[in-house]
Amino acid sequence: MKETAGEKETAGVKGVKGRRPRQRLDPLSLTGLGCLLLLVLVALGSLVHAGGDPDAIVGPRLRPPGPGWWLGTDNLGRSMLPRVMEGVGTTLLLSSAAVLVTAALSAGFGILAGYRGGYLNELIMRVVELLYSFPAIVLAILVAAVAGPGQLAAVASIVLVTIPLMTRLVRAAAVAVAERDYVTAAAISGAGLPRILGRHVLPNVAGTIAVQGTYALSVGISVEGGLSFLGFGVQPPQASLGVLIRQGGTYMMAAPWLIIGPGVVLVLAILSINVLGDGLRDRFEPRETRSLI
Amino acid sequence: MSALLEVDGLEVDYGTARALDGADLRVAAGEAVGVVGESGSGKSTLGAAIGRLLPRQAVVAAGTVRVAGEPVLDLPPAALRRLRRQRLGFVFQDPIASLDPTMKVGAQLRLVLRAHGRESPGGRDGGRGGGDVAFHLERVRLDDPRVAAAYPHQLSGGMAQRVAIALAMAASPELLVADEPTASLDSQVREEVLNVVFALARQAGTSIVWLSHDLPAVARRCDRVAVMYAGRVVESGPAADVLGDPVHPYTAALARSAPAVAVPGVRLEPVPGRPPVLTGPSPGCAFAPRCPFAEDRCATERPEPVRVGAKDVLCHRAAELEVIA
Amino acid sequence: MILDLTDVTVSFTTGPPLRRTRLDAMRGVSLSVAEGETLGLVGESGSGKTTTSRVALGLQRPTSGTVRFDGRPFPRRRKDLAGRMQAVLQHPHWSLNPRMRIGQSVAEPLAVLGKAAGELVPEALEQVGLEAGFAERYPHELSGGQRQRVSIARALITRPSFIVFDEAVSALDVSVQVQILNLLKDLQAEYGFAALFISHDLGAVRYVADRIAVMRGGEVVETADAATFYAAPEHPYSRQLLESL
Repeated sequence: MKETAGEKETAGVKGVKGRRPRQRLDPLSLTGLGCLLLLVLVALGSLVHAGGDPDAIVGPRLRPPGPGWWLGTDNLGRSMLPRVMEGVGTTLLLSSAAVLVTAALSAGFGILAGYRGGYLNELIMRVVELLYSFPAIVLAILVAAVAGPGQLAAVASIVLVTIPLMTRLVRAAAVAVAERDYVTAAAISGAGLPRILGRHVLPNVAGTIAVQGTYALSVGISVEGGLSFLGFGVQPPQASLGVLIRQGGTYMMAAPWLIIGPGVVLVLAILSINVLGDGLRDRFEPRETRSLI
Repeated sequence: MSALLEVDGLEVDYGTARALDGADLRVAAGEAVGVVGESGSGKSTLGAAIGRLLPRQAVVAAGTVRVAGEPVLDLPPAALRRLRRQRLGFVFQDPIASLDPTMKVGAQLRLVLRAHGRESPGGRDGGRGGGDVAFHLERVRLDDPRVAAAYPHQLSGGMAQRVAIALAMAASPELLVADEPTASLDSQVREEVLNVVFALARQAGTSIVWLSHDLPAVARRCDRVAVMYAGRVVESGPAADVLGDPVHPYTAALARSAPAVAVPGVRLEPVPGRPPVLTGPSPGCAFAPRCPFAEDRCATERPEPVRVGAKDVLCHRAAELEVIA
Repeated sequence: MILDLTDVTVSFTTGPPLRRTRLDAMRGVSLSVAEGETLGLVGESGSGKTTTSRVALGLQRPTSGTVRFDGRPFPRRRKDLAGRMQAVLQHPHWSLNPRMRIGQSVAEPLAVLGKAAGELVPEALEQVGLEAGFAERYPHELSGGQRQRVSIARALITRPSFIVFDEAVSALDVSVQVQILNLLKDLQAEYGFAALFISHDLGAVRYVADRIAVMRGGEVVETADAATFYAAPEHPYSRQLLESL
């Protein structure tokens, strides 16, 4: 009794229980993705000084937006447009670098803790919880105090702030995967730990890592913003969104455009990333919902 | 006598996949009807449709569902809620999942009772539950007073399912829909739970629609049985009749191929192939590709119900097969 | 005897520190499976059959008693079993890695041993009634019955002498169950492996098993030929199971 590969049967027509939806992201998430890509383009543009030289003095000080300086000028007469562009670039670069480090570390620790359990799990989770118990900004300042203010402090703080939650979530996902039959079957066949973790656990928690990594990126941007705003992160004359907001804050009453520009961009970045994260989450971790009407 | 539940020609799609392809069902007041079908037969969709509990992706393409004369699929939200509250009760497969994990059992029961104005004021010790709560739990043979004070996850599967039944029956519904309520329970507990459900329903005059994949178990307890295949009811009639003397080839094959009825040394012949996945109305009889009695017209003409004795059979050759079988 | 459990007890301690209680998942269980034989193990939830399955697979060490596979205790490294023992587990939904193609899943036991699969994969798929083209598919494209067939193909690919079937058909529709049970009987006739078939469904067990052991509360209450379970088992619990069929 052969079954031809031509007849494809689905696992029943009870709805989308447990199936991976193969549809695209919803429009809102796509908008978020679009915004993010736009910001990345802006950041790349800043590398070639597409909007101008962020350090050059182009005109009178504290001028509102107008020809020659489309986002106004700051207290030294520098055009805000290239400065905001550079700010976007710096912020995105640092946050992304940090999130990549976080993703790698929490993937490693989370999967180990989730799969092995026992003392290793306890150890990792207690360390994580210790980190988690510090308010983000306190942790960030602590790092800056140890490492000295600057880009390294910014990256390190973001890593320390985002690792706990991500590790927890990856661990939870790993626990769920670890008890699935295909993992047991691999163990029964004699697969060793590296193979099980690498071929069976990791690919199946990758979705969680991607989704949480996206959210971590928006947290990272906030942390960098806050740290640089306090003066412990990126140091002027280099611009990041946090630095710009700090500089603009001094002149908020006289020249609001100095703070509105970077502020709006910061909010836009965080919103679009969160919305993208939601879309990714819906795609990778679908929930069955019933409408009761 | 108009039936309590009337489902006529119900067609339901989930996107491009068709779950129900013209399902008919009648349940009279006080009657226990078992709906038997394998996965993909549409029985869960039918059960959900009775209370309009279909997921958002489901689209009703045609047909009607009437409960006590009211058109369930067309009711405005308030009337629908009233219908569900007053006339319908549901019991689902996983008892722990269908109970609120954050509320004690007694509290959940009281919530239901209060909605029906049956709460006796100043009942027994406030924390443990009023007099009515104990009464309803006793009806499902949960006499231990500790049950009312427990959270759902502290109960065993069988006990939790009995709580779910008590909740569903507390409002004295006219129709109880049970979707494989014993699937996750041990055989011993299964018998107890089923005894409770059917005894309670008989006592209260509640009709039961019991969805299951287990034909012999259903036939033993229900008055009537409806067998579903590919979104239609292919055979329905008195339980003993359908099980003992099945006319539709699918029913006959189903009855023959359960491991439980195997005779030592004799190989079971399963129904060859697999149920179809429909992507629209079936052009003919959906069982034709697997049917040993299929003729040419079976693939192109949709069968209509044929009355054979006390049964309704969805088969072009029903009359002949009754004689052959 | 390919598998021998002698007086196996498995205890777990649970509860908070200083108030630990001991839970016996298995108590004094003795079972044996001869070469080429199918031993059925029937029990409901809480009977200890799941723990027995893990002990038989070498995934759980007994608190007391001995387990011998092929006359020897389990080796330290699983790989040293060289694929002589495989398993088919319960959930068709999770029995295969959703990120791996069918062909890769089936070849996994060989890959673990460092061997190339080559023609063995299409051959294994055809043995279980699936066309070789299935190897390119992903699990979500297959039905429950088809996925269990793939699990069986995966279990067979190293030509094991012993396979544990742990509730392998329980999650399938009745008519598909029979297809798979018949497949098991045919494969066993052809390849001669011994099997431990575990289920809560006495009907399915007695259809495929030569001998049956009934478990309840962590103990084996009766062991007898399958034929007994069609007519008149001795133990009242066994009779109860029979009646509820």
